[in-house]
Formats: sequence, structure tokens, C-alpha cells
Amino acid sequence: MQYSQKVLDHFMHPHNVGKMENPDATATEGSPACGDQVTVYLKVNEQDKTIEDISFLSYGCASNIATASIITDLAKGKSLDEAKKITWKDAMEALDGLPPVKVHCSVLAADTLQTAISNYEIAKGLKPVPEFTKEIIVAELKKIIYPQVGEDIVSLKMVKYVGFTDGEVVIDLNIPAFDTWRDNVVEEIKEHLQKYSDIKDLKINLP
Amino acid sequence: MSSGEFYFDNCMTSKPAPEVLLAMQPYLTEKFWYPGSFISTGEAINAALAEFKAIIAKSLNANPKEVHFTMGGTLANNIAIKGLLTANSDKGTHIICSTVDYPDLLTNAAFFEQSGFEVTYLPADAEGFVSAEDLKAAIKSDTILFMTTIANHVIGTIQPMAEYKKVLEEADHKIFFHADAGQAYGKMLLDVNELGVDTLSVSAHKIHGPQGAGALFVKQGTNLGQLIHGVSRVDNLQTGGVNIALLAGFAKAVELNFTDPQTQIDKLYELSEYLLTTIEKTIPHIELNGPRGRKRAAHNINVTIDYIEGEALAMMLDLQGITVATGSACASQGLTPNYILLAIGKNHMQSHGSLKFTISRYITREDIDFAVAKLAEIAAELRRRSPLYKEQ
Repeated sequence: MQYSQKVLDHFMHPHNVGKMENPDATATEGSPACGDQVTVYLKVNEQDKTIEDISFLSYGCASNIATASIITDLAKGKSLDEAKKITWKDAMEALDGLPPVKVHCSVLAADTLQTAISNYEIAKGLKPVPEFTKEIIVAELKKIIYPQVGEDIVSLKMVKYVGFTDGEVVIDLNIPAFDTWRDNVVEEIKEHLQKYSDIKDLKINLP
Repeated sequence: MSSGEFYFDNCMTSKPAPEVLLAMQPYLTEKFWYPGSFISTGEAINAALAEFKAIIAKSLNANPKEVHFTMGGTLANNIAIKGLLTANSDKGTHIICSTVDYPDLLTNAAFFEQSGFEVTYLPADAEGFVSAEDLKAAIKSDTILFMTTIANHVIGTIQPMAEYKKVLEEADHKIFFHADAGQAYGKMLLDVNELGVDTLSVSAHKIHGPQGAGALFVKQGTNLGQLIHGVSRVDNLQTGGVNIALLAGFAKAVELNFTDPQTQIDKLYELSEYLLTTIEKTIPHIELNGPRGRKRAAHNINVTIDYIEGEALAMMLDLQGITVATGSACASQGLTPNYILLAIGKNHMQSHGSLKFTISRYITREDIDFAVAKLAEIAAELRRRSPLYKEQ
């Protein structure tokens, strides 16, 4: 497994690292227990709604740090609407790719940027506090990367069914018992959904 | 600086000694023969094998007849465990091992569990010790095998072998005793009679021998079922080909390691203690994993560097030519935190931030000074980037 030179450059000399004083918005995603956590700080121009300044802190592996660095580069100077379109795939492309088993590390930084933008918009009254729906669950599942191939579990058709009624989430997965990554995927799903207080119960069904 | 110039991962594999390569060379060139009878080439190899066997036997205070060559430690463990259990399953189907054993032992235990055996996994305490009292309490009338890892491969903990021996001797029936000595061999004195083991595995490449060679001690009179069937060139425990050059290198490595072994072990302890105290003096917020001093293997120091993820740390050290291992999930093949650290009660974050240094006789105090100075710089830089670290 080899990292690209770009990944190594951004890992060794990351851009926009550090805590920001008086940011307009901030977001923290991930947890130390999972092995990665990213905080993103934003300074937004109130008039034209562009990202004037952005910085990050990262507890994580090399690809986590490199992705956070490149995400801040991609977002800096962009309007909020443009920045909302930045995904982990853009970050990965800008880094000249990541080894498949490391793709999941790139999701967190992109995610944290989006949460920071969303937090800004909610705080400024630009959008309402989103209602929790099944679509949010599906969007979360799309961020879970199957490590062997580096694609998300929804695109790989590993999710057969998603249900959400009265706080109860039911997810049927199509991953056989002999799959060595199955436990890993189940753990990732739990980690991604635990932050939602609307979810009272989570059932993951496996074949 | 070049890759692995400062090599602190000797628990994984170690650099072959120059003398080892020289000892191997004749068997890769003019003496390329196989063992055989009544012809000079075959007899020469027979004589060489007998000599190598005697050297390895002496290092364990075993009889040469009790030493069997294998193609590495894992094969030795498999031949022993599967051999003992298949030959003796009529006497019982209960196995005892621990949650902190080497994967060879645990995967074999899981295999037999699936085949209908019952396995008791003894717990470890916060320093990785598995108590003899727990072993005693776990023994049942159908217990057939107890296996242990003498020196832990992650945190270096040396298990109370003498106490295990006493418990097993006091049991009301024979319980076979297998020990993995992969990390203990050459790092502490091992006497198979004193240990009371029936089988014990060792590996060449952990003691500056070549990769792909190992040995299994089998106490005389112990019946092992045959694992690998085929042509028997040396003995029935491992049939098929024999790699004479690797065994020549193995024997030479043993000779080098067991020349005044206590002095060599004391020197390793001095160096590892120096490594630990230098880290403790230089870097704030670190914790030692496993016991301190002579209760851990002479070459092993495992520390958690708080607020930092280990893969990033290990990679930055690697870019400076310093090779270490980490318990970070991100650096593991299965993306899981290290099971040994979790088994001794460390949390995921402590495992993710753990670094394992395993030294060898080729490491100097200057190497340690350089590595720790770099580690201090890198830890400070990664803490500067970490949302978890609040400067004191």
C-alpha cells in the first residue's frame, strides 16, 4: 500500500492547521475511540457569503490529516453554495487518489466541512433546523466506505432496506457472514448514526 | 537517511547477522544437497543437520532428539497444537489459553472450538499477566491442553511459567502444556525441563537468523498426530523438503545469541530501560503499556503517546528512517485496534496512540537518542494539529 506524493506532502506540511479565534462557524465530527476526529473552523463574509478563512485540527492518520488539509484548500475563497458541493471524492482526486483501505478516512474531513457550513446557515437563519428523515440515514450510509474496494456501501448495493418509524431505524445489509469486513461496516454504521438524538433504536439485520 | 536505518521492530523480524549469511552460503552453493544414506553428499547433510539440531537443543537444555525443524514459528505452533489435540482428543476436549496469546494460538483455539472443542480464554490483568490461580480454577476433568505465550508479542509481559508448571503438575490428570517462545527465545533463558512444557516453538528470524526457519521442541514420549503427510526426509512431524541453508543460518544465529547469553540479555534490558527513561524524560503525557523492568521481555518497550493517532506517528518516524510498530486501527489490516491492549483494559484511543519499540543488539544508545529526539519533535507537531490536545 502506497500513498501518493501529494498525500505525503499534505500530511507532512498540512495547510490551514490550527484553532481559529472567533470563528463564524465550527463543527467537530468523528471520535477518538474510532481513531479519527476533525474540527473545522470557518470565517464567512456576511455580504457575499464566501469562505474568507478556514482552518482545521485533526486527530487521525496520515490520510485523515492530508484530506483535511486539501479540503480546506478546496473550500477557501469559495462561496458557501460552491463549497457545499465539495465531496470526499473531490478531496481524493485532488490528492491523486488514496489506497482503497484508506478511502474511508477521507470522508470525515469532507463531512465536517459540510456540517460547519450547515451550522453557519442554521445560526444565521438561512435555513431551518433540518427535520430528521430517512434520507438523512441514507446520506450517512453513503459515507460508509467498504474498505476492500474504497466505494460506499450504498453504491455497492450492500444496503437492501432502510426503514425509519417512531425513532426506530432498521437497516438490512446484504453482506455475507464470511466477509471479513462485515463487522467493520456494522461498527461504522453505528458510529455514523449515534450522533442523531432522533434515533432511539437501531437494528441492523444481516444475512 | 534510508528506509529502516533505525530499526525498532525486531519483534516482527530482525536483521540477519553477517555471520549467519556466511554460514548459509556453502549450502546455497557447493553443499546444495539433501539428506540421504550411504552416499557422501547425503551423509554430509545428515551430519550438518545433526550438528544444527544439537546447537538448538543446547540453547533450550533439550535433548537433540526432542528438537524438530520447521519452516517457522507458526508452523511449529500448528504442528504442536494440532498434533497434541488430534492424538489425544479421546482423553478430553477442553482447551485453556488466554485472551492475550499470540494469534497462532488463538486462531488454532478458534479452529478447534468450531470443531466441537470447548475453549476457556483466561483473562489478563492490567499489565498483561495471566494468573496461575485462574488457570487452576479453569481446569476441568476433560481439560486436555493448556497453551501460553511466554513473552507477549505486543507488551512484552513474561507469564508466570513456574506457577503454571506447579498447577499443571498438581492437576489430577495429564494436561498437555504448549508454549510459544517466539518473543522469549534469546531474550530470557529457557530450560524446557524447568519450564515443564511438552511442546515449545521458536523462530529463527526473531534472533537475527533467516526468515522461514523455526524449531519445535517435543518432549520425549509425547505423541503428536501427524499434520503434514508426505515424503519423510528428516522426520514425520514436518515432511517434505528441508531447507538446509536456512537451518545452517538458524544454528549460527543461535550460537551467536547463546554465547554468554545472560550478558547479552542484561545488555538488552539496559538499552530498553534507557529507551523508556529517555522517552519519559523527553515527552510529556505518555504511558507505559505492560509491566516495568524484568517482568517484561528484554527487548520490548510499548508506550501510548496521548492525544495522537499512531499511524500518523509511525509514518512520520518512518520518513526519518525510524521503523516502529503501532496498535492503531488505521495501521492494522483489519482496521481494528490492537486486541492485546484492549484485553488489558486500555481503551481504543490508548491503543490507537500506542507505539512499540523492539530493540536488538545492533541498536546503540546513540540510535535511541536520535529516535527519541525525532519522536519528541513529531509528537509535538501532531499534538499541535490535534483537537484533543490542550497545551498545559
